[in-house]
Amino acid sequence: MTAGVFPGTGLFQRAAAAFAACVPDDPADDGFFGPGSVTWRVNADLTSPVAGLRSLLLQALHPLAMAGVDQHSQWRDDPGGRFASTAAYVLTTTYGDRAAARAAADRVRRIHERVRGVDPVTGKPYAAGDPALLIWVHAALVDSGLAAAARYGVALTPAEQDQYVAEMTVAAELVGVPAARFADGGAPASVAELDAYFDAVRPSLATSKSTEDTAAYLIAMPDVEPELADVWEVLAAAAEASLPGWARAMYGFESGSVPPERVAVRQVLGVLDAVYLGEPGVLEARQRLTLRMRAAAR
Amino acid sequence: MTAPGARPAGGKRLSRGLSAMRLAARGGARYAAGAPRLFAAAGERRQQLRDDLALRTAQDVADTLGTMKGVLMKIGQLASYVDDGLAPPARRVLSRLQDSVPPMSPELAAGVVEAELGGPPERIFKEWDPRPIAAASIGQVHRAITTDGQAVAVKVQYPGIAETIAADLGNVALIRSLLKMAVPSQDVTTLIEELRERISEELDYTREAEHQRLFAGYFDGHPTARVPKIIDELSTARVITSELAVGARFGEMLDWPQEEKDLAAETIYRFTFRSLYELHAFNGDPHPGNYLFEPGGRVTFLDFGLVKHFTQGELDPLIRMIETLCLNDDPEGFRRAMEEADFLKPGAPIPTEQVVAHMALFYDSILRPGPRTMTSEYSSAVARRYVDFKNPLAAYAKIPRPYVIVQRINLGLFAILGQMNATADWRGLSEEIWPFTQAPPATPMGEAEVPWRASRETRTRSE
Repeated sequence: MTAGVFPGTGLFQRAAAAFAACVPDDPADDGFFGPGSVTWRVNADLTSPVAGLRSLLLQALHPLAMAGVDQHSQWRDDPGGRFASTAAYVLTTTYGDRAAARAAADRVRRIHERVRGVDPVTGKPYAAGDPALLIWVHAALVDSGLAAAARYGVALTPAEQDQYVAEMTVAAELVGVPAARFADGGAPASVAELDAYFDAVRPSLATSKSTEDTAAYLIAMPDVEPELADVWEVLAAAAEASLPGWARAMYGFESGSVPPERVAVRQVLGVLDAVYLGEPGVLEARQRLTLRMRAAAR
Repeated sequence: MTAPGARPAGGKRLSRGLSAMRLAARGGARYAAGAPRLFAAAGERRQQLRDDLALRTAQDVADTLGTMKGVLMKIGQLASYVDDGLAPPARRVLSRLQDSVPPMSPELAAGVVEAELGGPPERIFKEWDPRPIAAASIGQVHRAITTDGQAVAVKVQYPGIAETIAADLGNVALIRSLLKMAVPSQDVTTLIEELRERISEELDYTREAEHQRLFAGYFDGHPTARVPKIIDELSTARVITSELAVGARFGEMLDWPQEEKDLAAETIYRFTFRSLYELHAFNGDPHPGNYLFEPGGRVTFLDFGLVKHFTQGELDPLIRMIETLCLNDDPEGFRRAMEEADFLKPGAPIPTEQVVAHMALFYDSILRPGPRTMTSEYSSAVARRYVDFKNPLAAYAKIPRPYVIVQRINLGLFAILGQMNATADWRGLSEEIWPFTQAPPATPMGEAEVPWRASRETRTRSE
């Protein structure tokens, strides 16, 4: 797509470029998940944009995670760039071979070393490399993958949901969460552990000006390509509706609003996907994944 | 914040939103440049796809053509008739969308044949080629030989496509906004109706087979125009079996000597307007992928997925417009005919000369007798005039619903003839064909039509 169609720092254009670049042509191995994983299956569906947006909305509810992003990343100046680098990171660890995934994780760890400070809202010190914060960010991502799939995407059996959560612990460990059982300070490895984690962490969550700015920005998304503003509106409604009730309450989202229907959301996601497929390299990247997943299913 | 279904269409956001899809949809406007029909599209490209990407299940079909994608392709096709030009990025979006549709796996296609015809293709046919030879409307075409030795083309519909697309057509609000972007100048309500009609027609192969039978029957024995016959016992709502046609593709034919191209163009012209005036039917898809060419002006017409039937009452105003403008030099009569048919608001404050001057371009090829060469410049000029909303006439003119398709076919036909650089005495040909002139043959092909016409009259009388 040329600049004329997606002027400026188009969000989807950058996400598409990241996708095309991060799905390897000739990987040395199947990476940390592989074509037979539930993770690949969940990500192959249309719902990733909803999952991504929901996880950002959720992550912003942790004051220390919020402060780290707010004070250290290019978030406020170049949110599109921040999205693209996050997307590239997740895509590389998901689809890249192990060396590529490790290299990407090492870069993130090095960046995290510099991200420390004091949260102006709670007065608490924070460090991005703190396993507790890493688990928070991770858990929000995993929970959002499950929630978006359940509402708008592929149907997973309870066993597959557990498997997805278990598979994803590897992603947490890559960025520095201890490779330990959940009870011993590791990432949650089942749906039950994930639920227990959220119950335990909720007292530490809070909203602030930063949180609200972030949510308002994410939902209104002034940086999305203007052609896709309508699409974003539905994505945001879907992400909002799929948040847990307590998170919706913290944000003060109206409880009475009618959530968008699954079919309608998927139709809008399909329109978005059509535009996405028009970006250079996206179709080929998707075909590479399909071929590998089909080979694995044999 | 609501789903598009809950929000009234319109507003600033909506009008700027989704213009990506407008662009995407305009990708379908490759028409003028000779694109394959959208669903039929990507034919060659799709053949290049690796077999291992083939659609293997109905779920694969739904994933690929559901969630609005099939409908989007169709909107693109619709837009292609009414819009001019297209932005290169848009062309890419739409053509990529087409490229994303792989063929069915041999097993999936065989499953449809089995469900529709009551047995696996190897048993139903003497020979069955499991590799598709072309993509077709929401399906693909296989070559086969029937048990009595006839070579046939078997068009097999994607399984589950009807249900998938029906579900997407239910999201009227989203379609409305997509259409608003795709064809902002058009009446969206009319277009939605048309989109639904056309998709449901295309999904029902029984209708298509009926249309093809009508045309095949009418042109049976024609010296140059051919329509493959339907094999009734091997055709259902999701499978159409017809005689296998042979010939050169449009692109290859373009390299033939000009005399050959002129003859082919004459056949296309005769086919189109004989169908209109005598069958009262228009095959609505004059695009290059739907023809096969052989020397001597022989043309085989494929794909009758979109046929529009006319009543005499619908044809009469068109006839009067031709009579008043081309034969009688009666501008006021022309204007009245336009008004009566609802093409022009009665009492529009536009001088009649201006109305005539605006409309004359559409009739340019038949205003006067004598040879005339169709060019791409002319067809583009017609297309541009058609969408010229800055013209003062635009506020008072419209294309009434029964004639929308005629306009589109005209544009498509002009585009095709223009690409062929075809020269003919179009007025002379028309006078042969017009029921109100019925002139004697103007060309050798016209002479060759005489016995066919005579045999038709005999047949009609004996019926």
